[in-house]
Amino acid sequence: MKKNSADSRKARVMLTLSRVLVYALLIFISILCLFSFYMLIINASRTNADLQGGFKALPQGHFLENLKNAWNDSSINIPRGMLNSFVIAAATAILSTYFSALTAYGLHAYQFKLKRITFLFIMAVMVIPKQVSAAGFVQLCYKLKLTNSYLPLILPGIAAPVVFFYMIQYMKSVLPMEIVEAARVDGSGEFFTFNRIVLPMLKPAISVQLIFTFVESWNNYFLPALLLDKAEMKTVPIMIAQLRAADYSKFDLGKVYMFILLAILPVLLVYIFLSRYIVKGVTAGSVKG
Amino acid sequence: MKKYLALLLAVLMLTAMFAGCASKETTTDTPAASTETAEPAKTEETKSEEPAAEEAPASEEGKVFNIYAWNEEFKGFFEKYYTVPEGVTVNWIITPSADGAYQDKLDEALLNQESASADDKVDLFLAEADYILKYTQSPVTQDITALGVTDFSNTYAYTVQAASDASGVVKGVSFQCCPAALIYRRSIAKDVLGTDDPAEVQEKLNSWEKFNAVAAEAKAKGYLMTASEAATYRVFSNNVTSPWVDENNNLQIDSAIQTWMQQAKDFSDNGYTQDCDIWSDECTAQMFKDGKAMCYFGPAWYFNFSMGNAQDAEKGCFGDWAICEGPQAHFWGGTWLLAPAGTDNPTMVADIMNTFINNEEVCTNLVKNEAQFSNNQKVNELVAQDESYGSDFLGGQNDIALFCDLAKNIKFENNTIYDQLLNEGLQANWREYCKGTVTEDEAMSNFYKYINEKYPTIVTP
Amino acid sequence: MQTTKAPKLKTKRSKISYAKWGYIFIAPFFLAYALFHFAPQMLTIYNSFFENYREGLTQVGPNFVGLKNYITLFTPDKNGTIDILKYAGNTIVLWLGCAVPQVVISLMLACFFTSYRLKIRGQQFFKTVIYMPNLIMASAFSMLFYMLFSNVGPVNQLLTQAGWIDAPIDFFNIRFTVRSLISLMNFLMWFGNTTILLMAGIMGIDQSLFEAANIDGATSLQVFFKVTLPLLMPILVYTVITALIGGLQMFDVPQVLTNGLGTPNRSSTTLVMYLNNYLKTSKNYGMSGAISVVIFIITGLLSLVVFKSLTKQEEN
Repeated sequence: MKKNSADSRKARVMLTLSRVLVYALLIFISILCLFSFYMLIINASRTNADLQGGFKALPQGHFLENLKNAWNDSSINIPRGMLNSFVIAAATAILSTYFSALTAYGLHAYQFKLKRITFLFIMAVMVIPKQVSAAGFVQLCYKLKLTNSYLPLILPGIAAPVVFFYMIQYMKSVLPMEIVEAARVDGSGEFFTFNRIVLPMLKPAISVQLIFTFVESWNNYFLPALLLDKAEMKTVPIMIAQLRAADYSKFDLGKVYMFILLAILPVLLVYIFLSRYIVKGVTAGSVKG
Repeated sequence: MKKYLALLLAVLMLTAMFAGCASKETTTDTPAASTETAEPAKTEETKSEEPAAEEAPASEEGKVFNIYAWNEEFKGFFEKYYTVPEGVTVNWIITPSADGAYQDKLDEALLNQESASADDKVDLFLAEADYILKYTQSPVTQDITALGVTDFSNTYAYTVQAASDASGVVKGVSFQCCPAALIYRRSIAKDVLGTDDPAEVQEKLNSWEKFNAVAAEAKAKGYLMTASEAATYRVFSNNVTSPWVDENNNLQIDSAIQTWMQQAKDFSDNGYTQDCDIWSDECTAQMFKDGKAMCYFGPAWYFNFSMGNAQDAEKGCFGDWAICEGPQAHFWGGTWLLAPAGTDNPTMVADIMNTFINNEEVCTNLVKNEAQFSNNQKVNELVAQDESYGSDFLGGQNDIALFCDLAKNIKFENNTIYDQLLNEGLQANWREYCKGTVTEDEAMSNFYKYINEKYPTIVTP
Repeated sequence: MQTTKAPKLKTKRSKISYAKWGYIFIAPFFLAYALFHFAPQMLTIYNSFFENYREGLTQVGPNFVGLKNYITLFTPDKNGTIDILKYAGNTIVLWLGCAVPQVVISLMLACFFTSYRLKIRGQQFFKTVIYMPNLIMASAFSMLFYMLFSNVGPVNQLLTQAGWIDAPIDFFNIRFTVRSLISLMNFLMWFGNTTILLMAGIMGIDQSLFEAANIDGATSLQVFFKVTLPLLMPILVYTVITALIGGLQMFDVPQVLTNGLGTPNRSSTTLVMYLNNYLKTSKNYGMSGAISVVIFIITGLLSLVVFKSLTKQEEN
């Protein structure tokens, strides 16, 4: 009895100690992460001339002025750019995640002849560096007259090996085949099983990949810059690059930082919204019943 | 879940498609609508006043005029000062230059020019001095004298040289001229040279021998001659006597460039300058009031674009600057309008070019309203003669007058399509040697590797 | 495992009747792949055997040259250095510098966030904050770092004011500092991402297993090594392999920080920066294709090693 309480006291001390250490680590890392945002906010509050003078530790008084200037810049339309980027990024994220889960489930749940070779093939194409094939892809789009369309930016997301790989690994660790078998016994069709039983179990993985693909697409510059030239179709990164390429009479670094800051807000909201779904999974036992 | 996904997806796809279609409609609809009435006659009347323009009503030419550019500078001037013929829609295809996107996009369009439909053809595009030869030395651009741009009597000679191919065929014009000068700190010049008068300073800095000697004197008084070892590079590279490659495509380093390399290393070793890029914070930090650098080099746009520190209300030194020619004449920057082969609007191309070099009213507006140094000598000189004019930033000096003189001496010779990257690559790799992080051999070997990667045909030692 | 329990007849039937669903489920992927990815990717490999570049606007090639591009890549320069191996070495050093702390710290954080005992408060805040660096575009992030560590930047100012240094440290021209900064930036940009992946993995594990372990009185470490780690292994394999792929394709951070030069003396030039040098100006699809294939082979081999060694552990 005595020994037991000494043990539990010791355990409590250990727990408090580890909590302190964990919080210290978290706070330290948070400061590292937030520092660049702090700089971004400060820089967004400075004038172009002031920014040329290098770093400043405290915000200056030009935040609203930069916001107004960026918003009213005639060469870009910020709300339109955000909408365009959102449409592309959301569509890419949804297609990419859904079809990757579908593909992964196809390989995870079924036995078929080409299964192994298919898996190896997808793993192999995942490893091919993107840079060179991106150039070939642009030429392909020119040949197929697919410029000034969002389709070549969205549809290729259906074949996303990295997302697929995550989905299949996730299924390996959390999706017991008993559940699928049980659904079959209950007479559930294969697509129904996937959409109604499997997908909900993958909620955390789906949220994670929705976030990642959304962010990646949102920040994509090179392909959209080469494929879109109508002003009303341009995306946020193109507009930021355009501000940075402005001629000397209009160039304003304050505006550039302001737009970079603004461009982060929508993705941050998407992240906060979706990360709520990264929650503890349902216990396999309960579904089975 | 699936239902929501499907719904969301459908909505998104519709939006995407709608956005695509909507844009097409807006570009074609608006201007065409107003042409059907009695107005075409009027256009021809006004048109015939132009001497160069042939009797070619816009209706025979393409209805869509596509201009490729990397920013909105020229678009602004174009919309203010050029009257677009009735019935023609001007389409601006603006691709930022970041990551090489502008040239990638333009190249793709020019190389597909033949197969493009009339309304998609490039009709005019913009290029900078740094890479203009890539386009003028290629059949993707055409002779503008054949289109009706023939009068270059008022333009500056170098702007025409820059837009000409190897056999002297002119392929475009510049709407601005960018003579560059030696920009010096008046207070430091007084301390080092005993005077800040532009003429007297010029007298003491009019050759590289004098310039190098003054650098030692500046150092003795605790100053820097320049803020970057590359500050003088452009002055040397604008005055080379041989191109980067010989007729067999062997790399050759001109004696002027070699002189710079020597100067850079000497300046660096002696502490006359800093080892940094001309665009770096380190370089511009020396423009503050407590800065130590005496000389910068640049054209008129440099004052506003790069000298923000000098203009800073608290820490700057507004008015403590002046300009003089310096050791050699040179230029920096400028935008050219080039005529692509295969345009379906040749008359309009010529008309635009003539407007921006020979229409005195437009050129005067560029100088007076847009702070441009135009490419029309007559117009610039009229402004230069204005006794009341003086730049406050330069302590009251009339910079336009000096730039007018400088512009006449600028040359654009011995250039190749490789210039921009070879100039950048040499500076960057040589800087490592100046800093002492690599040996001279390593620096040169890295420079050669840099060349081999970018230009497979150049033969390096 | 469960197949042994199930009647033999049923297993056989399910194999026959469900195989077609496998093909149906993977069809969209391969359709999209064939339409959009296949041609450009195969062209990359195909081009590596050709001389194919632009001189200004003039296209040279494609002319079949066999293995010439590969021979050029592996020919030592006059100092005896084989450039591509040097850049592969740089890349691996930079990758290890960020990947090792990335996996370790992320695994720790993921465990903290999901721990029953610690019950961390303000989780949503911390989870958001650690992911934020991933939201900024790499180029903008590099710009900020450049500003911080430049010769006239605040870091040098502070060090000088504190009297620790006399002259500013030239962070971008000292091999150790450049590499450390690149690794640090990559770490900051990606550890939040990895943490979230691992966290989702841990949360997906059947929660009753943790409860059972707790009731049995297992210590945190025991739970981690006996329950969490084995069940998390597939996701961990994913994390390491994608970090490897991403790391070997490291590009934007060193490109922006060193202005594309890989200073000092090309010691921070990565494989993809090297590839980019060939691709950007002269559109040299021949040489850049060959470099792509080399990167592909290196990544493939390393991934295989990682995959095999980690899955072997799993079996044990």
